[in-house]
Amino acid sequence: MGPDGAPSPAVPWRKVLWECQPFPDNYVDQRFLEELRRNEGIRQYRYWAVGLLSPETLLWTSLVCSLLGYGLHRAWTSEAEPGCEPRTRLADLQSAAIFLSFTFGFSPVLKTLTESVSTDTVYAMSAVMLLAHLVSFPYAQPSPPGSFSLNAALFASVCLASRLPGALHTFAMLSCALMVFALWPCLLQRLRENAPNHFTGLCVGVCVGGVGGLGSQSPGGAVLLALALGSVTLLCPMLLVRLQRHKDNIQGPWDEAEIHEDLSLFLH
Amino acid sequence: MVLKIFFPQCCNRADSGLLVGRWISGHDSAVVLAVIHYPFIPGQVKQYIQKIQSQTGEELSVLGSWSLPKDGEEGMESFLKDLSTMFPQRRWLTVHRVMGKTGFSCRVTHRDANGQTIQPETKKKKEKKEVEKADGENDGGEEQTEGEEKKEEEEEEEEEKVIFVHYEQRKVMLSELHPIQNGIPETQTDPPSELRQMFHAVASCQPLYFMDKYDDGPLKSTHWQTEGREASIIVELLKQGSVPLCLLLGAMLSVWTWICNIRLFSLSPVRFLSSKLSTCVQLSYRTEHMKTLSSTKQAKDHTHFMSKANMVVSVLVDVALGLLLVSWLYRDDHIHMLANTLVPAADHVAKELEQLLQWLMGAPAGLKMNRALDQVLGRFFLYHIHLWISYIHLMSPFMEGILWYGGLSACCGLTFALSLLSDMVALLTFHIYCFYVYGARLYCLKIYGLSSLWRLFRGKKWNDLRQRVDSCSYDLDQLFIGTLLFTVLLFLLPTTALYYLVFTLLRLVVVLFQGVLHLSVDFINSFPLFAIGLRIFRSYRLAEGVKFRVLCEEPGSALHLMMDINPLKGSNVVQTYRTPTYSCYPKDSWLALVKKLFVGELIYPWRHKTTKTD
Repeated sequence: MGPDGAPSPAVPWRKVLWECQPFPDNYVDQRFLEELRRNEGIRQYRYWAVGLLSPETLLWTSLVCSLLGYGLHRAWTSEAEPGCEPRTRLADLQSAAIFLSFTFGFSPVLKTLTESVSTDTVYAMSAVMLLAHLVSFPYAQPSPPGSFSLNAALFASVCLASRLPGALHTFAMLSCALMVFALWPCLLQRLRENAPNHFTGLCVGVCVGGVGGLGSQSPGGAVLLALALGSVTLLCPMLLVRLQRHKDNIQGPWDEAEIHEDLSLFLH
Repeated sequence: MVLKIFFPQCCNRADSGLLVGRWISGHDSAVVLAVIHYPFIPGQVKQYIQKIQSQTGEELSVLGSWSLPKDGEEGMESFLKDLSTMFPQRRWLTVHRVMGKTGFSCRVTHRDANGQTIQPETKKKKEKKEVEKADGENDGGEEQTEGEEKKEEEEEEEEEKVIFVHYEQRKVMLSELHPIQNGIPETQTDPPSELRQMFHAVASCQPLYFMDKYDDGPLKSTHWQTEGREASIIVELLKQGSVPLCLLLGAMLSVWTWICNIRLFSLSPVRFLSSKLSTCVQLSYRTEHMKTLSSTKQAKDHTHFMSKANMVVSVLVDVALGLLLVSWLYRDDHIHMLANTLVPAADHVAKELEQLLQWLMGAPAGLKMNRALDQVLGRFFLYHIHLWISYIHLMSPFMEGILWYGGLSACCGLTFALSLLSDMVALLTFHIYCFYVYGARLYCLKIYGLSSLWRLFRGKKWNDLRQRVDSCSYDLDQLFIGTLLFTVLLFLLPTTALYYLVFTLLRLVVVLFQGVLHLSVDFINSFPLFAIGLRIFRSYRLAEGVKFRVLCEEPGSALHLMMDINPLKGSNVVQTYRTPTYSCYPKDSWLALVKKLFVGELIYPWRHKTTKTD
């Protein structure tokens, strides 16, 4: 049946115009909608664009940030106590060269490391390692970073970096990870020594940034992180102070004698 | 006091005469070696004994008198009584036997330094608690046996109790008491035991046994020779024929040693190669044996004799088995068949290996392998197999010739054929050995790297000076690179571990096969067949000890015991007389082996000792 209700004759309709057919010119049959194509060749727009964080961008950003941080660190170190021997610029350059060359050289190998390991294992390993990093971090003296914490953090970042699609991605992520885990605590330490007010502000800023970043991926996680941060930073110290009044240590003449050796007598 | 007299069985029915033998120092006993018959001239007896003493170095003496009166020999008693004055000894035994009675009777008289007879002291009889051996008897007096009440005696004298221990002289002479003591008596802290002294006395007085009562000498004596045993003709012929044989052997050996000492063969790579090939080792070992055998001097002592005899038998057995093998091999075209199956077999092995490698390069058993490393290793090993197959195909036309000439080596002995086979197996499976070495080295490197980097991960370091793990503050770049390398090594571990495991298993199979061959060669080399034969057929020659049984315990005479030789146990025979070889035994215990496998050290589980360090 055509659209204007004309009775279909015995000859089938063919989609040609040079023949004189008993159908009207705008006649279509029931196979009309089979050739419908929708949304062909249009560009897919996404809210978070894929190319937002390309490895080149990350590299340049981290390079700029590290240079800035290095400059700050140098500025603050020169005001430090004159007792310790500062590293020369050449030694720093050498270290940087070693980092970059090794990372760049190994990134194709690193990319294929966890190819055959399942995603769950990788995520679990990274999570455990980062937790170990948090636990063993030398909070009191972060300037030379503790071996185990740094190693755990780097191991986790290598595991994660090996999941990325390209060698350049791996290199960029590793450089970024190195900056965050190895160099950033040194800078923070200098900052704390020299400008404590700024330090507090920066810490708060970092926390907010972390929570916000997590919130972009999963709001529940962001809430949990905020709670954890709040409890560790605010709640636990308050508990410690509050519970001081329940302390009850007694000492008296029944204690064992302790000998305090004063070796300075022997130095002269 | 109990006096033991060792009496030879052959003298049980000897005619009356003098007992010649030896007192055993340090113990209350005497060994009777022979009986010199009446009539004799005492001076000649003394001369004879002096002569034997100087020849053997043993302290022979006349122990006493023996009387077995036959019909028509009355009056012997008084004659024999006077004899004791002619031979001045500290103690004089008077042994008397009556025909028809099994027991002897013995009286012991003591003399002091002046030659005066000491009367035995009169003692009251007491009841004693005794062991079964302690009963003795005198002639004329009645003794009480254990458990009986006191009897009234005419002579209430307690005299020495005498025990007669009968022994078979020929067997004791030929026997060797174990454990063998070859040391000089001065080096021994305690004097040799009674039994040892007795055996030694019987064995060393050989010149005493040369003349017996059927010879036409001035003295007629009875000992084991009088029983009339024939010597074996074959043994005598062999003894005579062995001297020229030894000389011939010595000449051949000197030629062979001269060839071996040519400068060409003392180059270091040749020497290294010849120390690794088991055929060369076996050759040198047999040459040592031949050198020992070809000396024409007689063996110094029992151990030397037994080792020489074992060597001879071992060589003969070896050659016999080898000839058997040769007769089988060269018959019915077996060599041709063997050569034709060898190359296809090697091809088949190579094909199986290739398939194995292809399987490893995929995902073997569902394990997660690192693809890139997998491909690298797999291709590397495949190339090796390709090289090896070409090498086998190159050799295949010569295979039959090699087998033909190699089979000839079995004429020298089965051990040579087996060593040759072991060497050929080693050469044919050289590629497996190469793979194993590569895999093991890679794995070992990885394990060491991992352990060292794990220490870096934790912030510690190995202190070589103190041999312990210490904490260490690393630099930032050291930490970084260390962690990177640790991650890489850790994730590549399953791949290398799998290759290592596969090739180690293959290598172990080959090593096991070679080990079986070496063990059988060693067995043929060192098993003391002659000693075992001696133990089975002439068991009295290897004595571990003696056992006694009671022959006669009549109340009117002394106690008679029969001493039988207790032969050495079979396992002790093998242990004592095993020829020392470059014996092939496992170097490490199971635990050490497993540990080595785990760490990746190269294992050479069979260790060869050289004969010089033995």
